[in-house]
Amino acid sequence: MNKKVMVITGTRKGIGRYLSEYYLGKNFIVIGCSRSESDLKHEKYEHFCLDVADEKAVNKMISAISKKYGKIDYLINNAGIASMNHSLLTPLSVVEKVFKTNVFGTFVFCREAGKIMAKNKFGRIINFATIATPLKMEGESVYAASKSAIESITKILAKEFSTYNITVNAIGPTPIYTDLIKNVPKEKMDSLLNMQTINRYGEFDDISNVIDFFISDKSNFITGQVIFLGGVSY
Amino acid sequence: MEKHRIKEILNKTVNEYFESQDFNEKANEDTVLFGKESVLDSMGLVNVIIDIESRFLDEDYEISLTSEKAMSRRNSPFRTISTLADFIGEQVTENEEIDE
Ligand SMILES: NC(=O)c1ccc[n+]([C@@H]2O[C@H](COP(=O)([O-])OP(=O)(O)OC[C@H]3O[C@@H](n4cnc5c(N)ncnc54)[C@H](OP(=O)(O)O)[C@@H]3O)[C@@H](O)[C@H]2O)c1
Repeated sequence: MNKKVMVITGTRKGIGRYLSEYYLGKNFIVIGCSRSESDLKHEKYEHFCLDVADEKAVNKMISAISKKYGKIDYLINNAGIASMNHSLLTPLSVVEKVFKTNVFGTFVFCREAGKIMAKNKFGRIINFATIATPLKMEGESVYAASKSAIESITKILAKEFSTYNITVNAIGPTPIYTDLIKNVPKEKMDSLLNMQTINRYGEFDDISNVIDFFISDKSNFITGQVIFLGGVSY
Repeated sequence: MEKHRIKEILNKTVNEYFESQDFNEKANEDTVLFGKESVLDSMGLVNVIIDIESRFLDEDYEISLTSEKAMSRRNSPFRTISTLADFIGEQVTENEEIDE
């Protein structure tokens, strides 16, 4: 099959929804998932209702894809949740929820898709980090820590998977206007934008631009990298 | 699924891996897969495990060799083809019971 097969997590809304439509537009087969149903209807789109931290459900999804298409070219681990709160006021149940979705979900998708990619000796994995980690933003200890774990996973899997011709990279977006940040007070947002080198909100196509670079055939020498938007760095 | 069928699949998968690596070996149930005496290095074992999982999937058996059960046993189920067949046998039976 010469059509590209892309798996994207968290596709019901936000960045994941945008990326689904963007890559369907490029004639890819896109398989998405989220906890709730998606209203995206497209002949090349397939949706799975699952929680990314549900290991069994993820195994089933990846097996189904492997049977149907025999390969996964690209995996975009976009599903993620945030928690913005002072640490003294953060219950452990929230910490658990954030880590389950962001870290466990990313890991299990990397592992399962990684097996299919390894068999085909090709794959590109893109994970989602955040500028909150390098900027050490107050109120985001849990969220930033979970994304920091994703950075470690990205860099180490890059090594472990390199013999299979699989690259593993991450993108670290600045704030982009989605539901994820809609409840953050404006002053907080403004001070955040001021910490960036380029002081504006990110746009959806800032994300797809970086992903296009990571998945490009020519990027087979690029792995274990985290690209932050807006000029942010450690 | 019968035990001898499981062993058959394992032998075939491991032999294919040996061939792909130009190893002059033939797999049988005593072939050591894991540990000092194994002909496989750690990456070789990972590759074989991936192949085995996908081979069973082709037969419509979803097995997972990365389970905590497998990692926590004193005697690794990956030691030989025979021990691995027993371990897979347990999972296959569990799945068959769920389907009924
Ligand atoms: N927007 C930003 O400013 C920003 C900045 C930096 C990084 N990011 C990262 O970008 C990614 C996407 O964020 P977004 O802004 O698009 O968020 P969003 O608008 O809140 O969308 C999140 C998506 O993930 C799905 N999802 C959440 N938890 C899930 C779970 N446990 N299992 C399966 N699906 C789940 C949601 O669908 P369901 O609710 O149906 O499950 C939804 O489709 C996240 O990793 C986020 O951390 C965003």
